[in-house]
Amino acid sequence: MEKKKILVIDDEIGFTELVKLNLEATGNYVVKIENDGTKAFQTIQAFLPDLILLDIIMPNIEGPDVVNKMRNSNFKHIPIIFLTATVTKAEVEAQEGKIGGHEFLAKPSTVKELVDCIERHL
Amino acid sequence: MLTGMLSHSPPLGSFEIHLAETLNKAYKLLEKKKFDVALLDLNLDDSSGLQSLKKLNEKCPLLPIVINTGSYPDDLGLKAITSGAQDYLIKGKYKSYGLSKSLYYAVERKRSEQEIQTAYNKFKETQSQLIQAEKINTIGSIASGVAHEVKNPLATILYGVEFLSTKLGNTDDEKIQLTLKSIKEATNKANTIIRDLLDFSSLSILKKKPEDINEILLQATKLIVHQCEKKGIEIKTELDKNLREIKIDKNRIEQVIVDLFVNAIYAMEDGGELTIKTYAEKLSHKDYEVISKSLKGFKDKEMVTIVEIDDTGPGFSEEGLSKSFDPFFTTRRASGGVGLGLAIAKTIMQNHNAYISLKNREQGGAQARLIFKS
Repeated sequence: MEKKKILVIDDEIGFTELVKLNLEATGNYVVKIENDGTKAFQTIQAFLPDLILLDIIMPNIEGPDVVNKMRNSNFKHIPIIFLTATVTKAEVEAQEGKIGGHEFLAKPSTVKELVDCIERHL
Repeated sequence: MLTGMLSHSPPLGSFEIHLAETLNKAYKLLEKKKFDVALLDLNLDDSSGLQSLKKLNEKCPLLPIVINTGSYPDDLGLKAITSGAQDYLIKGKYKSYGLSKSLYYAVERKRSEQEIQTAYNKFKETQSQLIQAEKINTIGSIASGVAHEVKNPLATILYGVEFLSTKLGNTDDEKIQLTLKSIKEATNKANTIIRDLLDFSSLSILKKKPEDINEILLQATKLIVHQCEKKGIEIKTELDKNLREIKIDKNRIEQVIVDLFVNAIYAMEDGGELTIKTYAEKLSHKDYEVISKSLKGFKDKEMVTIVEIDDTGPGFSEEGLSKSFDPFFTTRRASGGVGLGLAIAKTIMQNHNAYISLKNREQGGAQARLIFKS
């Protein structure tokens, strides 16, 4: 089975490395990391991910800005999951897990929750 | 002679005079009747000097006292006034007009003193409430910042542990297993604390809808049924079926209720009874007075919906009763308690403009009471 390509955009280096380790350990994914939100768009063009995990608050650029850029481009079909520490699970549930049409997963979550969420959108 | 002076003292009006030759006789008179002012001779048979003044003042703190006495050392006058007397008169050194004036002034001055004291007490109470509210606000903002910063590293640790678990999970090495388990548990605990802190600071986002409070209570009991069985706690419900729906944020109020249940369960380690009551009634004047000190929006005697959660535990200590709602106050620090549950509950209730109170029941155990506008 072909492995799906996941792009993780988040400025926390330790976190992104571990997301990559865990997801690749399942054997189902190839993961690329982008720690610089301003380069997100270029990385998307180069890597052509099947799904993007995106942090909402990063230095120099915010998650929603990346989403806006993508909306008006060839990549608007790529599913995005927002991973963020800024809200509690209660608030996530209150927003019914969506923001700007994309899903929202609170940090931290278990790896299983992350994988389930990814599979729902691929 | 004194009586003579006082009965002929226009234009300041007249006095009804009662005479007591000893302090004890004065006490008896004071018990029977309300007096506006006392004229005290410092040289009585059963008491003398400033002792008389102090004793009389203690016995009747609201009674204005004017000292009327034979010559004494000069500074006794000043001492008398600083010890609670309104004025100090020396026998033979005043006429009827001076005497009545002194008595009238004494009454007025005492009244002013009382007004100032009452206003001051009210001020102190308001100040203390404002400080409390400010504390909670400040904690809220700090908590929010800290929580966010900590969540990221926590997420990294958790993912790290999960990864290590998958790689090392099948090892026979008990020590590795134990280490992984300990890290996971500790991280989850830290996560709970952070989540509670964030919860605490985001409490103003409410989604209010008409809800059936009995339904919410029953749902909440489902969450604790297992724990109660384990500890031998019987759950009793006396829910008023005719309650009207109240406009509340279901999730938040359920949070309050579950927190109160958890506290009740902790209080009944060796079993007991958890009783849940709901009813509607007119807000009593006494309750209205207490509630309106901290909440606007309730009207005296209006219909309210009341929820009572009773336990048969040991009840609150005095410290507990006064500090339970303080952020970070907990009696369960040893077992990992953070002390935010009730602070959060109170904030949620305040955001709903509803009231929460705790007390010890006469028959033993504690009671948590929630009052909602109907």
